[in-house]
Amino acid sequence: MDPVPPTHPATVVRRVRIRHDEREEWTPDDVSFQVAPGEVVLLLGPSGSGKSTLALALNGLVPHAVPVEFEGAVITGGLDTATSTVAQLSEHVAMVFQDPDAQIVTGTVLDEVCFGPENLLLPVEEVLSRAERALRQVGLWERRTENPDRLSGGGRQRLAIACALAMGSDLLVLDEPTANLDPAGIEEVYAALRSLVSGPGDAGKRHAILLVEHNLDAAIDLVDRVVVLDRDGRLAFDGPTREVLLGHLDELLAMGVWLPVATLAALRLRSAGVTLPDLPLTPAELTAALDATALPTPPTAPVAPITAERSVAVRVDRLGVDRGRGRRRTPILHEVSLEVAAGDFLAVIGTNGAGKTTLLQAIAGVVRPPRGRIDVGGIDPGRSEVRTIAAHIGFVFQNPEHQFIAHTVHEELAHGLRIRGVDDTGIERRVDDLLGRFGLESARDVHPFLLSGGQKRRLSVGSALIAGAPVLALDEPTFGQDRARANELLDLLAGLNAQGTTVLVVTHDLQLVADHASHVAVMAGGRLLAHDTTAAVLGDDELLRRAGLRPPPLAQAMRSLANHPDWRHVSRLDDLPGASTR
Amino acid sequence: MSATTIDPYASSTAPAGRFLYRLNPLAKLGAPLPAMILLAFTRDPVTPALFIALAVVVILVGASLTRTVTLLLFVALPLIVAIMSFSFGLWTDPSRVDRSVLLFQVGDYRFFLGALLVGLATALRLAALLVLACIGGLTSTGPEFVRAMIQQLHVPYRIGYTALAAYRFVPRFGHELEVIRSAHRVRGMAEGRGPIAAVRRAAGTVVPLLAGAIRHAERVALAMDSRAFGAHPQRTERTRTPFRTRDWCFMVAFWLVSAALLWWSLAAGPGPVARN
Repeated sequence: MDPVPPTHPATVVRRVRIRHDEREEWTPDDVSFQVAPGEVVLLLGPSGSGKSTLALALNGLVPHAVPVEFEGAVITGGLDTATSTVAQLSEHVAMVFQDPDAQIVTGTVLDEVCFGPENLLLPVEEVLSRAERALRQVGLWERRTENPDRLSGGGRQRLAIACALAMGSDLLVLDEPTANLDPAGIEEVYAALRSLVSGPGDAGKRHAILLVEHNLDAAIDLVDRVVVLDRDGRLAFDGPTREVLLGHLDELLAMGVWLPVATLAALRLRSAGVTLPDLPLTPAELTAALDATALPTPPTAPVAPITAERSVAVRVDRLGVDRGRGRRRTPILHEVSLEVAAGDFLAVIGTNGAGKTTLLQAIAGVVRPPRGRIDVGGIDPGRSEVRTIAAHIGFVFQNPEHQFIAHTVHEELAHGLRIRGVDDTGIERRVDDLLGRFGLESARDVHPFLLSGGQKRRLSVGSALIAGAPVLALDEPTFGQDRARANELLDLLAGLNAQGTTVLVVTHDLQLVADHASHVAVMAGGRLLAHDTTAAVLGDDELLRRAGLRPPPLAQAMRSLANHPDWRHVSRLDDLPGASTR
Repeated sequence: MSATTIDPYASSTAPAGRFLYRLNPLAKLGAPLPAMILLAFTRDPVTPALFIALAVVVILVGASLTRTVTLLLFVALPLIVAIMSFSFGLWTDPSRVDRSVLLFQVGDYRFFLGALLVGLATALRLAALLVLACIGGLTSTGPEFVRAMIQQLHVPYRIGYTALAAYRFVPRFGHELEVIRSAHRVRGMAEGRGPIAAVRRAAGTVVPLLAGAIRHAERVALAMDSRAFGAHPQRTERTRTPFRTRDWCFMVAFWLVSAALLWWSLAAGPGPVARN
């Protein structure tokens, strides 16, 4: 590896069009851009615009390993991808994918990093020196003898970055590298990338990075330039970060591209007459801009609607859950007690392994809870039949495919009614009603596995609700999804909640919590640390820190205000004066 | 992914003092191989018993055993042999065994000592194959074995390493199957007991499991391709797994002892139990 930066562009994309074999449309369609040596480029676009496909084209996997029609040219590291093999290109461009588990081949951290250089037939000393350098760069050298399975999600993704670095290439392509991680993991990955880019002297300019990422709040301070694809896969904008994001706000919003929360907050304030001199991109910039501006009287702290006598939808009383048997028996939940009022939107938050999912699964009877500890609308999921439970609480799994059991969308919905003995006319009426409400009429006879991602998610929610359950429980419904799809689901949940459905959701995304949940339960180490209104929980830094969490971006910005102490409690976009930009 | 599943990658943290860990995995496979093949043709209980003893001695001297493995070898295995002897004995045609000693009688059915001995011979044969395979199996890891296959037997590395990568899928699928099962249970899929409901339940999990498996395999393949897997006919081997003199010595010595045991049991042993 030569530390002198190369002189030719890291990659040149020239009028590229790609069409998957089973699709009609070309995405991306006629896209051209370049990545200069040492540059960090963010590729943005709504889902379906072909970002991931384009990422795969940079190292020749498209068209060599994926069946597609390919037009135009990609020149990476001076090689034309159409006439070079993926193996030749791997010395010039390295990939990091979304799912850390799908990138691990060997049994130890060191073997894993050596795997690529070994394939390149490098001498042993070179393999080892590359591996050491790469592992030190991501802070995993001390853990080189461990099985990668022992690393956290963030640790495994840092390992994937080390593996990419060990290929010795000038360009790193990261495709949604943090979509499967919890907030701590996201922070780890970006800390590793940041130290890579801001390395001393020329070392920092060694690697160009092309990043496909929806979580702009985490990535934005790294990025030099933004390339935006529109809904049809055409190049919409290409330019410096600030120029593209702030200069084309309306177009980006209309396209469904997610913007940094700090920017959204400033836009909202602008519509209320608070004009900031420069639109901010990061929480720190928002804080600085607000401190330098005169603000009107602050929004009043949100008060939970005082509805004196609301019935209790879910009651959990000193619940303990163990996993395993005999000596392997380990407690997952300790003495958890909470009451959820009917009509609440409760978010359960905590780090990985805090017991969030187990709590939700016990409430919905997915894992049998001990008897007499849980009450859902008058029944005990510890001793009720499945069909009874289904009429009181619906459960939506993280991956909708896991819960599909029928061959058509119609059957999928009818199943929940049929096991309850509803007659055929009743079934038809209810199914048709639900198909309409969830926008699935045209997919009535389609196999559930052939639906689009968003349709699958809507169907899984529909089938959980069809038996008339007044409570809906969802396990990490936005995990691994892009923002557009996450938003679609949240709008659906907000609608159901407004009509009276009690919603329980386990999630890692605290801004989502801030903007949608009425209440928050904080879990840590199998115990319930707090259960209160969203504003109270997100306003308590000490509590969040104890749970291993950090305040969401908007709360971070507001909390640091020096000149406007009365604004510090704001954590929800909707609490800001002005009109919604979403 | 539970830590309890056997980890095919676990680096051998074996104590250096035991000799089996310092042998080439192929030597540990090749040494007992002739005995394993010949055992298939024996019919008496003595020959397999002798080889079980030989293998156990080699393992005790050459390997350090964890408590679980010790329990499996010295408690579970004899128990399984006992159960198998009895059940194989029940299946044996009573007209073809030595009927001099009657053990018990249920109605018209009579169980002779001869039948039990035939069962014992079969059970010991299977146990002997297992224990002989354990000589290599307990003392080499998956990657060691794959490296030896590639370096000595010239098996293409693409096959060896792909197989190793595929092994990583097993715990993942186990976990995924668990999730799918609970998802289907909570939907009220094929409730009820009995084999028909069980078959319907199992059939329902196949599609989601396969869909997930194919997608995962595709992703792994793309990730391996982008790290130049298959770029050259060879790849760098950081760890040489040489076939040394001591490997030949172990193998030849084991063959000689095997031949001696076999000759002794044929010449002096009681011969086959079944009267054919």
